[in-house]
Amino acid sequence: MSAARLNRHLYRAGPAALGWPRQVGMGWWYQLKMQAQSGFVVMVSLVQPLIFASIAMADQQAGNRTLPLLYYALGAGIMGIWSTVVFGCGGALSWQRHQGMLEPLVMAPAPLVLVLLGITLGTATVGLYSMGATLLWGWLIFGAHLHLVDPVAFVIAALVMVVALGLLGLVLGASFVLYRNANSLSNALEYPVWLICGLVVPLSLLPGWTHYLAYVLAPTWGIKAMRAAALGGDPWVPVLWCVVASLIYLGLGVVLVSNVERLARVHATLTFQ
Amino acid sequence: MSAASLSRRQGSGNFWRVFFIGGLISYRALFYWITPWQYIPTMLAAPLFQILFFVYLGRATGVGSSTFFVVGNSIQICSMSGIYGMTMALANERQFQTLSPILATPANRIALFLGRGLPVLAAGLQTSAFGFLVSALILNFRPAPSALPELALTVLITTASCTGFGMALGSIGLRARDIWLTANIAYFAMLLLCGVEVPLHQLPGALRVVSNLLPLTHGIAAGRLLASGHHLGAAWPYILEEFVVGAAWATLAFLLFSYFERQGRRTGSFDRL
Repeated sequence: MSAARLNRHLYRAGPAALGWPRQVGMGWWYQLKMQAQSGFVVMVSLVQPLIFASIAMADQQAGNRTLPLLYYALGAGIMGIWSTVVFGCGGALSWQRHQGMLEPLVMAPAPLVLVLLGITLGTATVGLYSMGATLLWGWLIFGAHLHLVDPVAFVIAALVMVVALGLLGLVLGASFVLYRNANSLSNALEYPVWLICGLVVPLSLLPGWTHYLAYVLAPTWGIKAMRAAALGGDPWVPVLWCVVASLIYLGLGVVLVSNVERLARVHATLTFQ
Repeated sequence: MSAASLSRRQGSGNFWRVFFIGGLISYRALFYWITPWQYIPTMLAAPLFQILFFVYLGRATGVGSSTFFVVGNSIQICSMSGIYGMTMALANERQFQTLSPILATPANRIALFLGRGLPVLAAGLQTSAFGFLVSALILNFRPAPSALPELALTVLITTASCTGFGMALGSIGLRARDIWLTANIAYFAMLLLCGVEVPLHQLPGALRVVSNLLPLTHGIAAGRLLASGHHLGAAWPYILEEFVVGAAWATLAFLLFSYFERQGRRTGSFDRL
């Protein structure tokens, strides 16, 4: 078999469809374990959300508006998940490249997108720490009432949102790799998404044009669903929109990762230069 | 000219050369975010979005006027440079394995140490000035023109004070394994503790004691007084307190630096990571 044919064969070959969930699952599990060991991730997903939750809840107590404390605790939790995703997933592909791992990953018969999917889903799952931490913190320190109107819907909404953010992380990872300083881009993207998605500021306070941006971002639907499940309302429509957003992110992620892989092969830039 | 006088003159020249040129070169070599691709997202865009985020959070909670958050955040963002920049300027010598050669030179340690603070101070001033300027443009922040020089003085003293605090963190970074985690936590904790986002009276008594020992707290209080039309006389005690706090941190930083240098010489642990 010629080198080109062998290469084509290896490139096209992959695990059987039934092996794909296993591959994503193992990637997810290893990423989860590795991220839990990282001091930076613990800071981003635990310490930072607690600080922002404290700020929002202290301001709520000092201010004259009456949104419940749980409103802010939930928002600060999702802020933590977003931070974990934007830092962990935004630089996922760049980091593999920087570490010299992108070459072996691309050479492996497994589709690169599945490898990255495990990484981004695992990273988004770690963000769930922040949700638990801010809820507990709000209850312990600020006396927030943790009564959930629909606990089942709440758990489903949280899981759907984590998957959606993991898939959005796939899109970020494949996009940020085109930018040499992915980490700087992540620095700049934390606050705008917190603000635009209405995580602790109601969307009604923001200019109308920002709503269009909010609707394409999964955290908007995630926080709507979780607030509806926790405080009352219909959580299922936002959950459905979260699922729709996830499917769009998945399609976009597959296209972008394939494109990055193709360009890196063509230009021989799989290793960091 | 006597030999002693010539030697003194050369010593003085060397001091200023190490202070100015050495400081600038170390900044260019060690400050991660120096290229426009990193500087703009991290030192300009992220602080701008931070100001917007907290101004809207203030509107959502009804805790204070936009001016409260504009002044607090526009002054606080100088600590991006003060904390991270100064940590980079000192701790990165160890990270890049250049600490031993530098400490093998007979260069004056005070010049070596303080010279690194000057470019960091300038970058911090630039970030704060950008914050105030953008707030004036998009958030209708309008301090009295007569208050601007006094506000500029307050920002200068506060930025210097943050630089002193960053020097202490950077000095610890000469020995600590992961100073970035500490620097990150310090940066975000200061948002809560220094009266940037939450009125100080809202904090528990023990935290208020900590607030008084940190940079920013007094400078922001002075900035808010000046922005609301008070004269320098009213703000002066706070400015003086900010200066004393900054000087105390810088002194502590130099003592730590000297201690870790002696310890490193004794144990040969300069470049141990």
